[in-house]
Amino acid sequence: MEDLNLPPIDYAALSPILILFGVACLGVLVEAFAPRRARHPVQLVLAIGGSVAALVMVVLERNTRVVTIGDAVAIDGPSLFLQGAILLLGIVSLLLIGERSLEAGGPFVAQAALTVGSEKDNRQAQGAPGNTEIYPLAVFALSGMLLFVAANDLLTMFIALEVLSLPLYLLCALARRKRLLSQEAALKYFLLGSYASAFFLFGVALLYGYAGGVNLQQINEAVAASQNSDILLYAGLALLAIGLLFKVAAAPFHVWTPDVYQGAPTPVTAFMAACTKVAGFGALLRVLYVAFEGVQWDYQPVIGTIAVLTMIVGSVLAVTQQDIKRLLAYSSIANAGYLLVGVVAQNREGVSSTLFYLVAYGFTVLAAFGVVSLVRDADGEATHLSRWAGLGRRSPLLAAIFTFLMLAFAGIPLTSGFISKFVVFGAAIDGGQSWLVVAGVVTSMIIAFPYLRVIVMMWLSEPAETTPTVSVPGWMTSAAVFIGVLATLALGVVPSPLLDLTNDASLFVR
Amino acid sequence: MTPDYYLVLAAILFTIGAVGVLVRRNAIVLFMCIELMLNAANLTLVAFSRITGTLDGQIMAFFVMVVAAAEVVIGLAIIMSIFRARRSASVDDSNLLKY
Amino acid sequence: MIGANQRFPPPGDVALVTMSTNLGRMTGYLGSYAVLGLLLLAGALVFVGAFGANRLLRPANPAEPAGKRVAYESGIDPVGGNWAQMQIRYYVYAFLYVLFAVESVFLFPWAVVFADPGYGAAVVAEMGIFVAVLALGIVYAWRKGVLTWS
Repeated sequence: MEDLNLPPIDYAALSPILILFGVACLGVLVEAFAPRRARHPVQLVLAIGGSVAALVMVVLERNTRVVTIGDAVAIDGPSLFLQGAILLLGIVSLLLIGERSLEAGGPFVAQAALTVGSEKDNRQAQGAPGNTEIYPLAVFALSGMLLFVAANDLLTMFIALEVLSLPLYLLCALARRKRLLSQEAALKYFLLGSYASAFFLFGVALLYGYAGGVNLQQINEAVAASQNSDILLYAGLALLAIGLLFKVAAAPFHVWTPDVYQGAPTPVTAFMAACTKVAGFGALLRVLYVAFEGVQWDYQPVIGTIAVLTMIVGSVLAVTQQDIKRLLAYSSIANAGYLLVGVVAQNREGVSSTLFYLVAYGFTVLAAFGVVSLVRDADGEATHLSRWAGLGRRSPLLAAIFTFLMLAFAGIPLTSGFISKFVVFGAAIDGGQSWLVVAGVVTSMIIAFPYLRVIVMMWLSEPAETTPTVSVPGWMTSAAVFIGVLATLALGVVPSPLLDLTNDASLFVR
Repeated sequence: MTPDYYLVLAAILFTIGAVGVLVRRNAIVLFMCIELMLNAANLTLVAFSRITGTLDGQIMAFFVMVVAAAEVVIGLAIIMSIFRARRSASVDDSNLLKY
Repeated sequence: MIGANQRFPPPGDVALVTMSTNLGRMTGYLGSYAVLGLLLLAGALVFVGAFGANRLLRPANPAEPAGKRVAYESGIDPVGGNWAQMQIRYYVYAFLYVLFAVESVFLFPWAVVFADPGYGAAVVAEMGIFVAVLALGIVYAWRKGVLTWS
C-alpha cells in the first residue's frame, strides 16, 4: 500500500474554530474541577478571553483565501468577515450573559434539574448563584457558528448546524424566573429545530444523489453538467433551503421565533438574535452563491416571494404585540426579510450589503435586549408594554437610548438601520429586483408604527402604577449597551470603513 | 431489486415521519418521528452511495448517526424537565406562550 | 428517472415485441409477489370477518363489580399511589451508554486500518484527540457525581 496522502490542513486559517473549541473543552474541565465560588469569574474570563484570542487570529488571517482540510472548510473573505462579526457579537453577548448584579445570582437558574415549583426550586430562585455551565455551552455554540459560515461541504455544514443548535436548545431552558415559559420555549425550539435539521439532511442526501458528492464546488459542477434528473436538484435545494430558512426565521418557518425569544432568558435571546442570524445568513449566502449559482434564475422568484412574505408577516404581526420581547422577535423576522432581499440580489453588492446589514442589526439588537433586561422590578423583568408607559419620566437616559434603538430599527437616517436598508435595497435594484424594494419600503412603513408606539408610550404617557423603576446596570450590561449604541450611531454616521471592508470581503473562494 | 426501491422506501418513511411530527400529540412519539426522518435520510444516503459508486454516503451515514444520538440526549433532557412539572405528555398542553 | 438503472424500450417496431416480452417477464417476476399479497389480504379479511361477526353477535353488558379497575398487585390490596418516582440515574446511564457506543462505532473502522503501512503516529494522535474529548465528558460526569449508583 502506498503512503497515505493526508489532506493539507491550514491550521492558522482554522485557528479561530480550534481555539474556541479548545476553550469550550477547558470550560467543561473548569466546570468539573474548579471550586464552586471560583467558577463564575473563571468561566467568564475564559470564555471572553478565548473569544478575543479567536478574534485576534481572525484579524491576523484576514488575507487568507484557502480551501482546507480536504475541501471541507473554505476560509475566504466572507467567512473571515462573518467569523469576526460572530466573535464580536459573541463577546458582547457574553457580557450580557455574565451580568449578575441586576438580580441575585444572575438570570440563569442554579440547578436546572429541580422540578419547577417544588420547595427546593423556590429556595434556589431566591438567590442561589446561577449555574456556570452556560459558558461552555455558549462557547460551543459560537464555535459551531464559526464552522457553519466556513463550511465548504454540506456534511460539515450539517455537523456545524447541529453543534451550534444543540447548546442553544439547552440555553433557552435555563431561566431563573418564569421557568415554565423558559422550558416551553426550549421544547418548541428543540422540536421545530430538529424537524428543520431533518429536512436539511434529506436535502443533503438528495443533492448527494444528484451530484455524486456533497462538496459545494462539486454540486456547482453537477448543476452545470449532470445527466441526472432535475427533480433531485430542485427537491434537494428546496429541502436544504427549508432547513436554513428556519434558522434565520423566514416565513413560513418563523413560528418558533416569538415564543422562543419571549421564553428564553434575555441574554440568551440577545445571543440568538444577533449571532445565529449572522451564522444562518452566512451559510445561506455561501450555499446559494457557490453551489447553486447555475440555477439562480430558478430559485430567485421563490426566495424573493419568501422574502416578501417574511417582511409582511414580521411587520403586520408586530403591530398587535403587547410584549416587548415578542415585538423585538417579530422585528427580527421582518429584518430577516430585508436580509433575504440582499441574498436574492444575485450580485456582489448583494453579498456585501447583507454582510453590512448583519453586523449593524446585530449590534442594535444586542443593545435593545440589554435595555430590556434593565426594566425590571422585584418579580423579574417587566416585559408587558403597558409597564413601559411613562418610562421617559422615570429614567430619561434609558428611554432615550431605547428611542434611538427603535429609530435604528425603523430605518431613520443617522442610524445604522438606514444605511443597511439603503445598501440592501440598492443591491436589489442593481440586480433587477425592484419589486422586492417596493415591498420592503411598504413594510418598513408598516413596522415603523409599533416602534413609534413604544417611543410615544415611553415619553408621552403618564407613568402607570405598574411602571417599574429601572435598575442600576452593572458594568457589563452598561458596556454591552454602550457598545451597541455606539456601533449603531457610528455605522449610521460614518459607514464607509465597514462598507469598504464588506466590499473587499464579498468574493467566495471555490 | 434496484436501489431505486430503497429511495422510494426512504421517501415514504420521511413523509410518514414528517406527517407524524405534525399530527402526534405525545412529545416522545413526536421525537420518534423526527428520528424516523433522520433514518430515512440515512437510507437515502446509503442508497445513493450504492448508485453513484462512491463511499461518501456511507461515511455521512456514520456522522448522521452520531448527531442523532447527541440530539436524543438533549431532546429527552428537555422533554423530561418540562414534563416533571406538568405530569402530562401532550405537546398541546405547552400553550403558555402564544401569538 | 433516477440514475443509470432506468431501462427504456428501444425505438421502432422492435418496441412492441420487446415490451410484450418485458411485460411477460415482469408478470412472471411479480406473479409470485401477487400470490403472496393476495394471501396476506385474504388472511387479514378472515381476521376482520371473524372478529366483526363476534362483535355483532355477542351481547354487550359488561359488569362493573367493585375492584374491577383497581391495579393488580398479586391479589392483595394495592398500597401506595399510582405514580412511582422515576429515578434520573436510569436516563443518565442510558445516555452515557449511547454516546460511548457511538464513539466505538468510530473506533472499529479506525482499529482495522490504523496499523497499515503508510499510516504513522499522526493517525494514532488524531484518534487520541477524539477519545480525549469523549473522556472529558465522562470525567465531567464522574466529578458531578452521576456515576455513583445510590
